[in-house]
Amino acid sequence: MSILLDRSNRVLVQGVTGAMGTFFVEDAGRYGTQIVAGVSPGRDGTVVGGVPVFKNVAAACAATGADTSMVFVPPAQVLGAVVEAIEAGCRLVVATADEVPVRDAIAIRTLARQKGAAFVGPNTPGIISPGKAKMGFMPSFCYAPGRVGVISRSGSLSYESCKRLTLNGFGQSTVIGIGGDPIKGTTAGEALGHFHADPETDAILYLGEIGGSEEEFVAAYARSTGAKPVAALIVGAVAPPGKKMGHAAALIGSKAEGHAAKLALLRNAGVHVAHALEGVVDAMRSALATCQSHNQDIPLRSKRA
Amino acid sequence: MLMLEHEAKALLRFVGIETPRGETRKAGERRPWGGAYPIAVKAQVPGGGRGKQGGVLRADDAQQMQRAVDEIFGMSFAGEVPSAVLLEPWVPIRRELYLSLAVDAQADGYVLLYAPQGGIHIEDGPPPTAYRFGAPEAFRVHEFRAVLESCESDYRVREKVVVLGQRLVATAAAHDCTTIEINPLAQLESDELVALDAKIVRDEWAAFRNTAIKNLIDEEHTRADPYLRASLEMKHMYVRLDGDIGLISGGAGMTMAAMDMIAAQGGRPACFLDASPGPTSTRGYRPAIAMLDADPAVKVILVSIFGGGTQMQRVANAMKELMPERKSDKPMVFRLDGTNVHEVPGILAAFGARNCDTLEEAVGEAVRLARSAA
Repeated sequence: MSILLDRSNRVLVQGVTGAMGTFFVEDAGRYGTQIVAGVSPGRDGTVVGGVPVFKNVAAACAATGADTSMVFVPPAQVLGAVVEAIEAGCRLVVATADEVPVRDAIAIRTLARQKGAAFVGPNTPGIISPGKAKMGFMPSFCYAPGRVGVISRSGSLSYESCKRLTLNGFGQSTVIGIGGDPIKGTTAGEALGHFHADPETDAILYLGEIGGSEEEFVAAYARSTGAKPVAALIVGAVAPPGKKMGHAAALIGSKAEGHAAKLALLRNAGVHVAHALEGVVDAMRSALATCQSHNQDIPLRSKRA
Repeated sequence: MLMLEHEAKALLRFVGIETPRGETRKAGERRPWGGAYPIAVKAQVPGGGRGKQGGVLRADDAQQMQRAVDEIFGMSFAGEVPSAVLLEPWVPIRRELYLSLAVDAQADGYVLLYAPQGGIHIEDGPPPTAYRFGAPEAFRVHEFRAVLESCESDYRVREKVVVLGQRLVATAAAHDCTTIEINPLAQLESDELVALDAKIVRDEWAAFRNTAIKNLIDEEHTRADPYLRASLEMKHMYVRLDGDIGLISGGAGMTMAAMDMIAAQGGRPACFLDASPGPTSTRGYRPAIAMLDADPAVKVILVSIFGGGTQMQRVANAMKELMPERKSDKPMVFRLDGTNVHEVPGILAAFGARNCDTLEEAVGEAVRLARSAA
């Protein structure tokens, strides 16, 4: 299994006629994602990469049974596009755009919760269930099917870390980019809940950074009874306080948001904390070692895809 | 985008929140203070901890005022020289309170924070009490009041804070603020509540619908030197640090991971420079390399990009095109990985460069080169 995304999702692409939309249809389709429709107002009736284009999401869903949307529109249009997808009944919506106003992210988050839809984004490479499907633009060669669930606040850091896991034989069930913004469509807490419920995920790797309070979700999960083992890497050890490190959420505003405090919080909760990027594979190995005794019949290592 | 104190206070007054009536002075400006003494002389710098660093002085007469102004313009705060000073009446305070609005993941939106004892030592005391309501439409006066009942015993103060809180929520929503911190919120002898200091962060991603934010960004670009300005116009995220390894990276997380690795190997990063938000082509990297080439503190440039949407042969080709344009012979170290990385070694070899296989190797090389240049 995997979380949120597998071969069963019927995916439509909003903004399909743009460069990213068109590239996605080809790249993700090749990977195995079931892409059934495109949406581009005023361009309905055309075809992109073999996929029929509709004028709006409702029409695309009615004609193709699409239940999942990949959104590639400019930041100012993200709110409108995601609301359209959720209200048309999509169960999963992914929007990768960065530079989405926080006020808009709050509005999306509120609606998604009301409607029971999952939203991944903004400011994320997306989500991939290796060997099954991808919704986003992550480089496919970094991933292999396996039993580690990965949650990341940063796109490029997740590529780098997953490549290291894959080269060392630790495949992934799903890798979810929760994004670098302060308000996330899917929080680390929710992603942990999904991985906890997934029988094919043995352990979780959390890739975090300075700023914000997302790591408190991770510590709370790791402390809970019956939690799966968690490894973590937090970057930003040498970042000065009060300066935004690229991501809107990567700003140390208080001591609790600094590197040392987050490391202490996670260590005290029993998380296997990597001292730095170089230690991410070892941290994963030690986390997996703690669950090996419970799940001896489940193969922990998988061959590279 | 952090507003300066005097800009933040102007916004608070605009929405009906009382602040002391102050005036700003630029460096070299000798205009006297027209009001009564004593006054507070306050450095106008982005970033916190100003009070603890001596950036707020008291002046009891015109002479003291001028001495304080000159002193503050001679100071720097985390590398930033004050762009102005703010002169304000020194008000007698009965109690310092703390009130702020922030964006918080656990709130699914906004949170209001209140502490009955505020001031510059707020972080040393017990954490403020939080009212997490999320979307602005979900704010309820009676819920906030109930939260305040647990920490503020004076009901008259409580009622004033409830009103202020409601106003902060409306202001954040209407003006795209991600933080509004009033610390201290001063209770005067008259019982009136006044914002003695204010820190407001505006959401720069809302600039497309908010001219005030667009102007703040433009002003920041104008203040920047020509090299930095060119880089900012490419939407690069740049923070200058005090080291000598000029890091050009892609993605905030990987940029920080590379900074951490540089420090762990005994080196010092000269900057946080995330070049991924702008064009990842010759046009995008040109100002980044020009800026680091022109910066005398930078001894070596490390280009570390792990791209998904960004294709690596394009980055390598951009580097190849830019090499002949450079006016500096600072060494450069490359570590490119990601989509189409197999094409990279051939492209770099055309100008005598080599692609490091791992970040560890690239950082090691950069640290060694920086050391031998020192």
